[in-house]
Amino acid sequence: MAPHQDTMFRSADMSLTQLYIANEIGREVVSALGELGIMDFRDLNSETSAFQRTFTQEIRRLDNVERQLRYFRSQMDKASIPMRSIYDFENPFTSPSASEIDELADKSQQLEGRISSLNESYETLKKREVELTEWRWVLREAGGFFDRARGQTEEIRHSIDNDDAPLLQDVEQNGQNDTSGDRSFSVMNIGFVAGVIPRERIAAFERILWRTLRGNLYMNQSEIPEPIVNPENNEESNKNVFIIFAHGKEIIAKIRKISESMGADLYSVDENSELRRDQIREVNERLSDLASVLRNTKSTLDAELTAIGRNLAAWMVVVKKEKGTYETLNKFSYDHQRKTLIAEAWAPTSSLGLVKSTLSDVNDRAGLSVPTIVNQIKTTKTPPTYFKTNKFTMAFQTIIDAYGTIKYREVNPALPAIVTFPFMFAVMFGDAGHGIILLSVALAMIYYERKLQRSKLDDLFSMIFYGRYIVLMMGIFSIYTGILYCDAFSLELPWFKSMWEWESDGKKLGPRATRVEGHTYPFGLDWRWHDTDNDLLFSNSYKMKLSILLGWCHMTFSLMWSLVNARYFKTPIDIWGNFVPGMIFFQSIFGYLSFTIVYKWSINWAARGIDPPSLLNMLIYMFLKPGDLGQDPLYPGQVTVQKLLVVLALIQVPILLFLKPFYLRWEHNRARALGYRGIGESTRVSALDDDEEEGRHLNGGRESFGDDEDGIAMITEDIGHGEEHEEFDFGEIMIHQVIHTIEFCLNCVSHTASYLRLWALSLAHQRLSIVLWEMTMKNAFGFTGITGSIVMVVVFYAWFMLTVAVLCIMEGTSAMLHSLRLHWVEAMSKHFIGDGVLFEPFSFKTLLEEDPVE
Amino acid sequence: MANGWAPFIGLVVVAIFCGAAWFFSPKGEEQTIWRSTLILSASAMYLMWAITFLAQLNPLITPVRNNLRGPEDFQR
Repeated sequence: MAPHQDTMFRSADMSLTQLYIANEIGREVVSALGELGIMDFRDLNSETSAFQRTFTQEIRRLDNVERQLRYFRSQMDKASIPMRSIYDFENPFTSPSASEIDELADKSQQLEGRISSLNESYETLKKREVELTEWRWVLREAGGFFDRARGQTEEIRHSIDNDDAPLLQDVEQNGQNDTSGDRSFSVMNIGFVAGVIPRERIAAFERILWRTLRGNLYMNQSEIPEPIVNPENNEESNKNVFIIFAHGKEIIAKIRKISESMGADLYSVDENSELRRDQIREVNERLSDLASVLRNTKSTLDAELTAIGRNLAAWMVVVKKEKGTYETLNKFSYDHQRKTLIAEAWAPTSSLGLVKSTLSDVNDRAGLSVPTIVNQIKTTKTPPTYFKTNKFTMAFQTIIDAYGTIKYREVNPALPAIVTFPFMFAVMFGDAGHGIILLSVALAMIYYERKLQRSKLDDLFSMIFYGRYIVLMMGIFSIYTGILYCDAFSLELPWFKSMWEWESDGKKLGPRATRVEGHTYPFGLDWRWHDTDNDLLFSNSYKMKLSILLGWCHMTFSLMWSLVNARYFKTPIDIWGNFVPGMIFFQSIFGYLSFTIVYKWSINWAARGIDPPSLLNMLIYMFLKPGDLGQDPLYPGQVTVQKLLVVLALIQVPILLFLKPFYLRWEHNRARALGYRGIGESTRVSALDDDEEEGRHLNGGRESFGDDEDGIAMITEDIGHGEEHEEFDFGEIMIHQVIHTIEFCLNCVSHTASYLRLWALSLAHQRLSIVLWEMTMKNAFGFTGITGSIVMVVVFYAWFMLTVAVLCIMEGTSAMLHSLRLHWVEAMSKHFIGDGVLFEPFSFKTLLEEDPVE
Repeated sequence: MANGWAPFIGLVVVAIFCGAAWFFSPKGEEQTIWRSTLILSASAMYLMWAITFLAQLNPLITPVRNNLRGPEDFQR
């Protein structure tokens, strides 16, 4: 095994590297590193604003290209032309050359012009078409009005000419005056306005006209049966044709103004029916011409867009990568004299070889004589925390990272969580049947992994899919715990010979059972407990103790990691001041409790002939009345042992409180007495000393800390970031330790109690599945014959749906959340330090994952 | 009681399994994950089995039938 292999146990060993890159190949180097995705570049120009950086021009240009590509995308969406999926490309992750980018920029510029001009002409044509359609409707409808209105000219004339005319004359004369009907309106000085108006405005339009003209108008309207489509926004609207007759030029002008302000479109209509017919014919001709032009334009546009769609996804990826590259290049500092770019990046030490070989590859390809130099530099900065994950461990790492960033090189809680997280879940979810459902869902998701990864999933399902390997483990463990609980869809699993025999009086079984002598049920709970009167009595006692025991194991296990951490970070005071007293405190109370639980189980109390002592009372008496048991002893010498344990636990409290702070103070004072001083304490005295100057030269004269004038401030500030050199403040340490002690001691109690949720949730799950079974399937078994089979099918579906929805999804979610809490709070509080810095490498892969092209 | 030895026998079996898991885990980057997952799973599963077994080793209560209202119960 290689000495430096990064495992999941601790975060990868990181080193700060410095790269000297020739200016000409800066872009190629960065994009090659982006493909690798293992370097976290530090921003060396943090005081420079985004606009003043070196490569702002390029980024702006790429922004423009990106905008154009998005424009194509939106046009394609509008024309509902599909884009070729990113997964259909041979290798979408090849990095483009500079000339390809230029070409792409030119091409997209050109295409944009073409598309937008095509679009424009298409829209104008479309608008024209709508206008013509509306005109046609007006002509058609208005014709009808004219024909109807003409019949009434006489009456109108009468009412105008002769005020004394009898009202009924209209009716009498109606039949006789047909010949005079052809007299035109113009003779009577009656004008008219015709047009189209949106239907929802018609009421307001009428009212306004009526009010302003005081009723001096005759208005006719009819609905256009088909909706009119607005070409600008593709919205459909219903419109009405109207025609208004009125007397006098001024009134007509007024009507025109009002209708235009109401958003009506006016069209000219001739009152002569011959001319009108010509007009209609002309409009129809123009419409058909327009339609053919429109069709041509549309097909050209579609062809253009289809051609773009074939490559659009690849272009988008290319532009995104290019932009990422320049944004990273902007983090570099530029040495004007030597024409080199200087970069600083964190990278896993184990991949430095890979980085170097990649860089030399790029150099060879570019044919440049100046090599790219990779320097490792020593620093007091905290390296970022990086775990290399695979698809199995990724989800587990995510749930730990969601709580806090792990300290650099600290024990990674995600490694044991791979087992403990699904196991704790399974203890709560224990049912072999439901476990099989989970397992098959997980297996299906893993089998169709590739397909599902590429398709768009909704929120909930994508979450489950992300955690498919967690679900897999959950399923496996749930089947196991289900078998141990002897539950499969709440039914028993009589796989082994029971340890109980029903008593029989010849006629019937029960009610009591006797034990088969010397036989203990070998695997899990005895199935005879199913459907008994007192099964809860037994399973509650069992599950409660199971939770306490598992909780004790889990917490002891977690507490051990704090020992491992302290040993790794070489802080023995954490062992002697925190770990050892904490462990003794915890074990002398809850370790003892766990011991007595197991001890009580292993004794045959009936054979001894005494009542088994209550463990709960024992624990209470142990603290309230040390020296008094209040009941029969569990074992001889119990009083002495318990007294000893209480004293042992109580002694740990002052040790926990004072040992670490006083040791730290002693150490600090000793260092002071020897003449050492923290550099951070000094106020810019030593910063300009010769040593410092030399130190800076040794680092290759790097400019990463900014200008030389700022050197003083930067250096002292820098050291302030290192944890070891913080100013010693005894009060603060003491307060911190007091809080830690109180928290630890109280948490020992509350966290142990908290594990009882294992019992509560598994009880709830079991009861719920029993109720569901009894309310559905059990009743369905009561029917026989044809009815029976129909009822069975219906009820089975209902039962299965409810099982999946309520018992698997809802109960599963709650069990998962409780398991999550047990890990975050109960387990991780025992050892997790978690003040790490997240490793965010510059990687094209993550770049594309965050902002997917699809 | 011969039964009482079962947890210890189980412990030996699990210990052997853990030893085998340690030595036969596939080499490479994932070795740590294999080892920890196999060993922890075996331990967790053993623990739960042993607890369940111990809980029934000397049971303090016996099961009581609850379906006493079945047809056979009314024959007397």
